[in-house]
Amino acid sequence: MFREIKRALKMHRIFIVQELKRFMEYKGDFITGAIGLLLAQLCSIIFISVIFSQIPTLVGWSFNEVMFIYGFSLIPKAVDHLFFDNLWAVGHFIVRKGDFDKYLTRPINPLFHVMAEKFQVDAFGELVMGIVLLSCSLPSLDIEYSFMKILLTIVVVIFASFIYTGIKIGTSAIAFWTKRSGNIIFMFYMVNDFVKYPIDIYNNVVRSVLTYIIPFAFTAYFPALYFITGENPLFNIGMTIVVAIVVMTIGVLIWNRGIKAYESAGS
Amino acid sequence: MGKKLRIYLPFVNAGLQEVSTYRANWIFYILGDIMACFVSFFVWEAVFISTGGETFMGFARSDMVVYIFMSFLTGQIIGSGGTYNIGEEVKDGSIAMRMIKPISYNSTFLFQEIGNKIMEIGIIFVPLVAGVEIYRFAVTGSLKFDLLRFLLYLVCCVFAYAINFCFNICFGFTAFIFKNLWGSNMLKNTIVGFLSGSIIPIAFLPGVFKDILTFLPFSSLSYTPVMVYMGMYSGWEMLFFIGLQIFWTIVFWCLSKIIWKCVIKRLSIQGG
Repeated sequence: MFREIKRALKMHRIFIVQELKRFMEYKGDFITGAIGLLLAQLCSIIFISVIFSQIPTLVGWSFNEVMFIYGFSLIPKAVDHLFFDNLWAVGHFIVRKGDFDKYLTRPINPLFHVMAEKFQVDAFGELVMGIVLLSCSLPSLDIEYSFMKILLTIVVVIFASFIYTGIKIGTSAIAFWTKRSGNIIFMFYMVNDFVKYPIDIYNNVVRSVLTYIIPFAFTAYFPALYFITGENPLFNIGMTIVVAIVVMTIGVLIWNRGIKAYESAGS
Repeated sequence: MGKKLRIYLPFVNAGLQEVSTYRANWIFYILGDIMACFVSFFVWEAVFISTGGETFMGFARSDMVVYIFMSFLTGQIIGSGGTYNIGEEVKDGSIAMRMIKPISYNSTFLFQEIGNKIMEIGIIFVPLVAGVEIYRFAVTGSLKFDLLRFLLYLVCCVFAYAINFCFNICFGFTAFIFKNLWGSNMLKNTIVGFLSGSIIPIAFLPGVFKDILTFLPFSSLSYTPVMVYMGMYSGWEMLFFIGLQIFWTIVFWCLSKIIWKCVIKRLSIQGG
């Protein structure tokens, strides 16, 4: 078990180094992508600023709290985007073109291989924006810090990013049956737009969907709530970890069934 | 003219078939895209609850809903994939196949895209407009739909599409410079989206920005049609902004011709 993990990590490092070489070759292109993502977030922030120029609080949330949740939501998203972006390609064309054969013939787990193959530098746009937002909003929030709290937050970001990855694994695997599922991944993925804001601005239906069905609320709102208030770590942190494990397990189960259904393209 | 149209009709047909083949995929895509509208919808609901008032900077609650969803619809109507297609064809060399044919390169794109649009708009147009109007009727208690304004909205959309089409052709040739089409395309969409008022109504921006953005070409893309639909402009204002749209259409049409002439001389294709 331990040796396998060590081997996987080593392989992952090799893949990342390969990707970085590619990055150095097309530096300008990657920077354009990262700036694009950064600006996209900036537009939303201007949007929020315009709203708050007219009202003191948004259903009880202050500007800085909204900014904190917004910033927090970007970080797990960016982590998943950075490491596991290649799953989109599975849904868009890898299966359809029959290129998945390559992964089946290599002596590593195909899921691990396909996920580790790409290192998406564009994601730094989101990551930088998230960190900037957190650091700008933190000083004006009345938060009690402790070593435990910071440690828990870091752990929870890792698990929260697994929620993204798990959903992407499960939905990209649909392509094994339907040949392409890029747009299904997109549909599920876009639900994350909702959790950039405190979820109590939504009605009960939307809130339940975000908590129980497509549980993106655990990637931002609940962990951020713990960090801001320090309340209810058992639910806000504990449930995030449980949900991440459940989503990941479901995703991998769908993937494993899908791989058995995979038929190569006949060319 | 009639003969010319007959040449391009098969392209419209091809565009129609293209979308109908991947209709299911396209519906998933649009469902993902419309999610952002619902987020805005709830954010604005919360804003109106927080202010307790009936209007926010001159927009009533129902206006805001109309604005969000009509901006989305307008974005779909005027959307143009020219950037991406030209870029891809430059990269893989298939641009050569189009250029050896005795027809206009840009027109083939235009007509193929019109084919796509007929199909796509056909699916979402009625549900969105009907949804918006039913919502408005339920909230305000009176029917606000005005046929004349609706027709003017369609006219504005045609100009907006023309501007966007030419603009995207100009931009498409940046594929010569940037190889990351996804990145530069996203960068462009973000900037245009913001400047055209599809994220925040231009009227909400602080003084100077508002004035500048009103006259830049981007407001012609989405803001003008939506404001016309909502009846935010008086008769003269409407004429002025449609005039501005016509002005920008001409500017970008000329610009795309000039860029095309310059760039096509430098085009070199490897293999293909």
